Amino acid sequence: MTGTHVTSSGASASPPDKNSVGRWSQIIAHADMDAFYASVEQMDDPRLRGRPILVGSTSGRGVVLTASYEARHTGVGSAMPMVKARRLCPQALIVPPRFARYAELSGRIMQAFTDFSPHVEAISLDEAFLEMTGSEHIFGSPEQMANRIREAIHEATGGLTASVGISGTKYVAKVASALNKPDAITVVPPDKAAAWLAPLSISRLWGAGPKTQARLKQLGFHLIGDLAVADPDFLKARLGSLGMHFYALANAQDPRSVARSHRARSLSSDRTLEHDISDPADIRRHLRRSADRVGTRLKKNNYLAGGVRVKLKTTDFQSLTRQRLLNEPSDVADVLYETALSLLPAFASSGPFRLVGLAAHDLIRADGPEQGDLFNSHQQSRELEKTIDALNQRFGKNAVRRARDIDSSTVLGDHASDLDFLR
Amino acid sequence: MKFTTNREGLLRPLQLVTGVVERRQTLPVLSNLLIEATPAGLSITGTDLEVEMVAIIEGVQVDQPGTATIPARKLADIWRSLPEGAEVSVTQEADRAIVRSGRSRFTLATLPPQEFPKVEGAPSDIEIKLTSKEVRRLLDQVGFSMAQQDVRYFLNGMLLEITSGHTRTVATDGHRLAMCTLNRGADGVERHQVIVPRKGVIEFSRLLADDDTEVTLSVSANHLRVKQGAYTLTTKLVDGKFPDYEKVIPKDASRSLQCDRETLRQAFLRASILSNEKYRGVRLTIDEDTLTIQANNPEQEEAEEIVSVAYQDGMMEIGFNVSYLQDVLGALSTDQVTISVSDANSSALIEAKEPDDSVYVVMPMRL
Repeated sequence: MTGTHVTSSGASASPPDKNSVGRWSQIIAHADMDAFYASVEQMDDPRLRGRPILVGSTSGRGVVLTASYEARHTGVGSAMPMVKARRLCPQALIVPPRFARYAELSGRIMQAFTDFSPHVEAISLDEAFLEMTGSEHIFGSPEQMANRIREAIHEATGGLTASVGISGTKYVAKVASALNKPDAITVVPPDKAAAWLAPLSISRLWGAGPKTQARLKQLGFHLIGDLAVADPDFLKARLGSLGMHFYALANAQDPRSVARSHRARSLSSDRTLEHDISDPADIRRHLRRSADRVGTRLKKNNYLAGGVRVKLKTTDFQSLTRQRLLNEPSDVADVLYETALSLLPAFASSGPFRLVGLAAHDLIRADGPEQGDLFNSHQQSRELEKTIDALNQRFGKNAVRRARDIDSSTVLGDHASDLDFLR
Repeated sequence: MKFTTNREGLLRPLQLVTGVVERRQTLPVLSNLLIEATPAGLSITGTDLEVEMVAIIEGVQVDQPGTATIPARKLADIWRSLPEGAEVSVTQEADRAIVRSGRSRFTLATLPPQEFPKVEGAPSDIEIKLTSKEVRRLLDQVGFSMAQQDVRYFLNGMLLEITSGHTRTVATDGHRLAMCTLNRGADGVERHQVIVPRKGVIEFSRLLADDDTEVTLSVSANHLRVKQGAYTLTTKLVDGKFPDYEKVIPKDASRSLQCDRETLRQAFLRASILSNEKYRGVRLTIDEDTLTIQANNPEQEEAEEIVSVAYQDGMMEIGFNVSYLQDVLGALSTDQVTISVSDANSSALIEAKEPDDSVYVVMPMRL
C-alpha cells in the first residue's frame, strides 16, 4: 500500500492529524476497486495470478472490459478493441467475463460500505461515494477512515484491493482515489484541494470527454490550474454552462452531495405459465403464491419492501407493469398480496396472460425504528408467516401449507403431485 | 342557453365546484361542469363520481333557459382572470359555449349534458342540523389522522358516528387516532356509523365557513349529503367496517404527566429538526417532574430538550414519531395537556387537562 497525505508543501504545513479534522466541514470518500473484473478472476483462479490478463469477449468486435495491472504497462486499457489489445500485449490471457460473480462481490462490498455510512452512492459495480461527515469520532481521522474502508473491502471480498480518495467534495475525492492506484489512500484536505488539483491535466476533469478536452486545449487550457484562474465570463461565453461547471470543479467546488443509490434493489417472483390465463381468480392465485415467496425471501434476508410491482405479460409478449409504494415498508406477504390486488384494476388489458409476477421494490434494511400499530393488523400475519417459514425450513418445502393454497394447487400446477398424496 | 351575470356573482361557486373536479379523468365529461339555467336561476354541478357538489345561484339574468357542460378548470380560470366587477354572458351555440365580457370573447368546447352523471338522491335515514362552525371543528380536529392510500381502504376516510346523544368523528391511520365529540345527536338514533372518504372530508372542510350558518347533514345507505346555504355536497360512503376505536383508546393507564402545551410543542418542534428525516423518531425520558426529549440523525447530530412537567409515576423511556406528537399538540387548544401511558410498548393518550371535545392516541415507536 502507498499512503499519501497531501499537505501544503511549505514548512508551514499543519500536521496531518487531529488538527486537520477540525477544518473538514464535509468528508466524502470515494472507493474504487483496482482492476475489478481482472482482480476477481485472479483471486478465483490462482493460475491467473501475476499474469497479464484481459477480461472481455474474444469475439470479433469485443472490447477489453478490464486489463490486469500486469498487462497495463503495454498500454492496453478498458474499452480498447480486443483485436488491438492482443496486438499490444500478445502474451495476455483472455478471460470471458462472469458478471454474476462480479455482481455478487459488488453486493458484498456495497453492504460493507453501509457499515460506514447511511449515505452510500454506488456509481457502478466497483466504485462508490461514502458520506463520512460527522463520523470522525467513530472512525477517526480521514486517513484512518480510508484505511478502515480498504480493510473492510479486503475482508468482504476475501482479498481484493481498492484505492480510496478522501476530500471535502465528490469531485476531488474521485480524482484522489484514481491518482495513486492501485491499493492506495489519498487524503486531500479541503483547503488544499484547489492547489492540489492545479498541476493535474485537464483529462482529470470529471465530465470532460476527448472532444471537450480537445476544445479546452484549443482554448489554451492544459492544466486544471489554468481553468481555476480563467475568467469565468470567458468560459461561459465559450463553453456555456459546462464552462462554469468546469470552473467550479477546478476551484475544488462541487455542491453535489452523496445521494443514496437509486439502483433500487428488488426481489421478485415471476412465473411463465404452462397455460395462458385470463380469469381474475387464477391471476390472484398466482399473485398469492408470488407474494408468499417474496415475503419469505424478504424476511430471510432482513429486508422490507417499500413498494410492490405487479407484472403481467400478454400472449403477444407485451410486458405490462403497475406499481405502488406502501404506506410503510413491510415484509408481510399478506400486505404484498393486498397491495398487488389493488393494482389489478389499473391494468388496461384483461388478458390472456402468459406470465404473472410480483416484485418487492425500493427495499430497505429491516433494522430501522419500528412504528407500533394500533390494530396490530399485520403483526399476526407476520408471526404466522414466520412460523410457516420456520416449519418449512425445518421439515422441507410445503411441509405446512395454508388450506387456501391446497385448493389452488391444481391451478398453480407445481403442487400437483403433493395433492395426490393429500387426497 | 344564455345567461348574464357579473363576475363576482359566480366566482366563488365556480371555484368551489371546480375543486371537486379531478385533474385526471377517466371519462371526458367529468372534467366539465354541468350548468343548468332556468328562469329561477343557475345550478352548477361538478363531480368525480365519488364526490358531487352543486351550487344554486339566484339573481342571474337567464335570457334563454337550457343546459350545457363546459370545461371546469378553463371556465374557472377565465372567470378569475376577468377584471373585477365585469359583466359576463355565457351562451351555448351548437356544440360550443361562448363567454363574452367587454372586449373579451372565449369559445369553449362542450359535451352533451346527457353524458353527465348525477348522483341519485336516495331518501336519507338520518338528518341532523348543526352550525357550520361545529361541523368544521368535528372535521379539523381529526382530519389530519386519516390514512392516505392505505390498503386497509376503510382507514382512508373518517368515521362519522351519530347517536341520540352525540355526533362524533374518528380518524386513524393505524399509528395514531383522533376523536372529536359534539354533545348533540339525532333523536331516536341508537348508533349509526358511516365512513366518509378522504376526498369528501377535504371538500367538505373547504366548503364550511367558520360561523353559525346552518348545515344539514343527511345520511342515507350509500351517501352523505351536506347542505349549507346554496351549496350541496354529496359524497359516496366507504363500504367497509371501521375498526373498534373504543378498544384502542387506553383507559386506566398507569402513568400520567401534565404539562404546558405550548412549551412542549415548541420543544418538539426544535428537537424534530435533528431527528431522522425518514423515521422522525424522538426518545422521551420521563422522570420526576422532568421530561427529556432527545433526537438524533444519521449525521450523528443531536438535539436535547428538557421540559418541566408534573410527573411522579417512576422513570420510563419511550419513543415516538415526533410528527404525530406535533400534530396533536397543534390540534389541542388548551393551556395544559395530559399524557397517559402504561409502558414503552403501549399507546399513549393525549388530551386536554380539563374536559374537552377531542382526544388523541399515539402508538410508540421502538427506536
